[in-house]
Amino acid sequence: MIRSVNPLAQEPRYELIGRVLRQNILSGVLPEGFVLLEGPIAAVMQTSRVPVQSALRQLMEEGLVHRFDGRGYLVGRGGADVVPIRRDIRDYELEIPQVVDEALQTRGTWRHVYDKVEEEVASCQIFGEFRIVETELADHLGVSRTVVRDVLARLQERGLVRKSPSSHWIAGPLTARTVSEKFELRGIVEPAALRLAGPHIRYAEVEALLERSGTDPGITPQYLGDALLELCIAQAPNTALVEMIRSNRLLLSAVDRALILLGLPRDEDTIEQYQTLLDLITHHPIDSACEYLRYHLSITARRYLARMKIVAVIDETGSFAPYLSPQ
Amino acid sequence: MTDAGKSGLSSPPIVPRRKLRVLGTSITLIKPVRDRAQSDLGFDIEFEQMDFLSCQRWAAMEPDSYDIYEQCFHNLDIVWFWGALQPIDIGRIPEWDNISDLVKLGGVSKYAGRGRGDAPAKKLYVQPGGFLGPKPSRYISMLPTVHNMDSFGYDSRVFGEGPDVRPSWAWLLDRRAKGRIALVDEPAIGFFDAALAAEASGELEFGDIGNMTIDEINALMKLLEDRRTEGYFRSTWRDGDEAAALAEQGAVAVQSMWSPVYGKLRKARSHFVESAPSEGYRAWHGGGSLSRHLRGAELDMAYEYLNWWLSGYAGAVMARQGYYISNPQKTREWLAHEEWSYWYEGAAAARDLMGPDGVVAVRAGERRAGGTYLDRARRIVIWNTVMDEYNYAARAWDRFVRRVNEGAAA
Repeated sequence: MIRSVNPLAQEPRYELIGRVLRQNILSGVLPEGFVLLEGPIAAVMQTSRVPVQSALRQLMEEGLVHRFDGRGYLVGRGGADVVPIRRDIRDYELEIPQVVDEALQTRGTWRHVYDKVEEEVASCQIFGEFRIVETELADHLGVSRTVVRDVLARLQERGLVRKSPSSHWIAGPLTARTVSEKFELRGIVEPAALRLAGPHIRYAEVEALLERSGTDPGITPQYLGDALLELCIAQAPNTALVEMIRSNRLLLSAVDRALILLGLPRDEDTIEQYQTLLDLITHHPIDSACEYLRYHLSITARRYLARMKIVAVIDETGSFAPYLSPQ
Repeated sequence: MTDAGKSGLSSPPIVPRRKLRVLGTSITLIKPVRDRAQSDLGFDIEFEQMDFLSCQRWAAMEPDSYDIYEQCFHNLDIVWFWGALQPIDIGRIPEWDNISDLVKLGGVSKYAGRGRGDAPAKKLYVQPGGFLGPKPSRYISMLPTVHNMDSFGYDSRVFGEGPDVRPSWAWLLDRRAKGRIALVDEPAIGFFDAALAAEASGELEFGDIGNMTIDEINALMKLLEDRRTEGYFRSTWRDGDEAAALAEQGAVAVQSMWSPVYGKLRKARSHFVESAPSEGYRAWHGGGSLSRHLRGAELDMAYEYLNWWLSGYAGAVMARQGYYISNPQKTREWLAHEEWSYWYEGAAAARDLMGPDGVVAVRAGERRAGGTYLDRARRIVIWNTVMDEYNYAARAWDRFVRRVNEGAAA
């Protein structure tokens, strides 16, 4: 654990973000009608979107912001005459108390380091088995070994690295068997979670996404997969289930991103399947969407296994971070 | 286009000769094929020949650099899924109905063994969702052409000769050949020669040799590594010339082999012989595919070339190096009676027979191991295969090959 003298260092990140937004709304820095969007706030706060979502929900409960007929939240209690102000939050001189800033920074650094390492450790596994040497990782990141151990412990917890009998940190290899097992698990838990999520799905957002997916060429299968998780499946009220789904998908998504970086072409067929799925979710009984999700996952598993074979012909030199030593 | 549009497009004074670029391996990219195709088709043909692994990688990653890709069905797991190819419309292949059941159904007859692994039928037809499978459809991934049933070659002075000798894949791990064994270095090919040897010798047993589990792959690699440290393996090879050299030098007593290599043997010819393994053959099936970039006139040229392959001449050239074609009756018209009898019917050669290069490949009186085409094709037990765990197996295989050859150099 990271020890700190900062009294706020142990406070949840969404609380810290909530503090900053609350203070700037009450002081009038953020005017009534300003549209708060998760992405830009996350960028300013150097965090992921998840704590920003929680902070905004809390502010809504406090009556400081409200939902409207569009993406994001509006500052203020709302009303028909409020005109949404769409500007970049970075255009405003946000007041961020130093103690909060420091607390966010501490966590930001740690978090930033972690995400990068997680991506590298996960995606290397298609190339076989790797050893991670703590000191090399610390040198590479320019952080202490304490931080590195925390990072590795977290990776171990998420099933991305393990300790060998000789106490070395080992990642991979990702095999067809692992992939099949992960997809089998997905086929069991994700439709179940979708069913539970039924009453809580953010339907307006799903509909907006469905509409955009037909016209916006920037929307990738990966984007739709993530959105399906966040807007629908992760809305299931069973947090243990959602956590299981997230960590089960971790390795698959990281490898998928790595494959795309290696130049595999975009998959139009998968986009169509996501569109069908989103349409079923918004317009039909949730059971039909659950069945289709199961079918979609079985096809995706086949496609995934097929794409994995391709990696065998790729020259692996330079494809992974320097602290990863091929075994 | 309207008539007005046509008349507006007058020909430029110099028309560059049209050219078709073919990427492939030494199996099909041979001079007599190109020369004849050029004169029959009236356009230039440029061959880009590579070894098996480079060809597969290049085909997947550089589809704009070629028009036709010639390799094998098992390579499609890589090349097709990279999105490098476009489907072939069988409506544009007049010979389609005459292509044999070996590729369409998976066996030469209803009762013939199907063989494990990537039987070409499993990769032939384009299925919904862009997958490949055996369910017939209008579109195929690769036009089936050349194929063969491979085995190993052995030194009859070591393993004996005559009708009582029953060659077995187990010989590739046999004590009698210790230090004089070589395997073909290709993880979808040589890997299975080793796997067949492991099963035939009783060392290992696989649930499905054509789709091995991680544990089975580990067990096979451990067996190979143990035998390597005991000094069993002399070398690995990647092309026929290397294989021929190993046999000629007397460096090997048993090794993976390809048919054309036997015709090239001189000193070793009398004792280095083709086996008809008692367990059956490892087969492969080649063909031609269309690069994804082809459109219009270029696509038409590519179809002309594919169809030319099934018009008989190319099949005759293939036969003279020991390979079969997917529509044999057309090829029969292009072979002398003695050639057809020897290569397809398993008869003793009535006279010396030439290889594709015009040099004698078969001497009068010789008889092909394994008998007729149908006898050989009925005994296919495994196809060259890219298994589910290919990525894992290929890396393990590479490490093994590297150690074999480092040991050889030391």
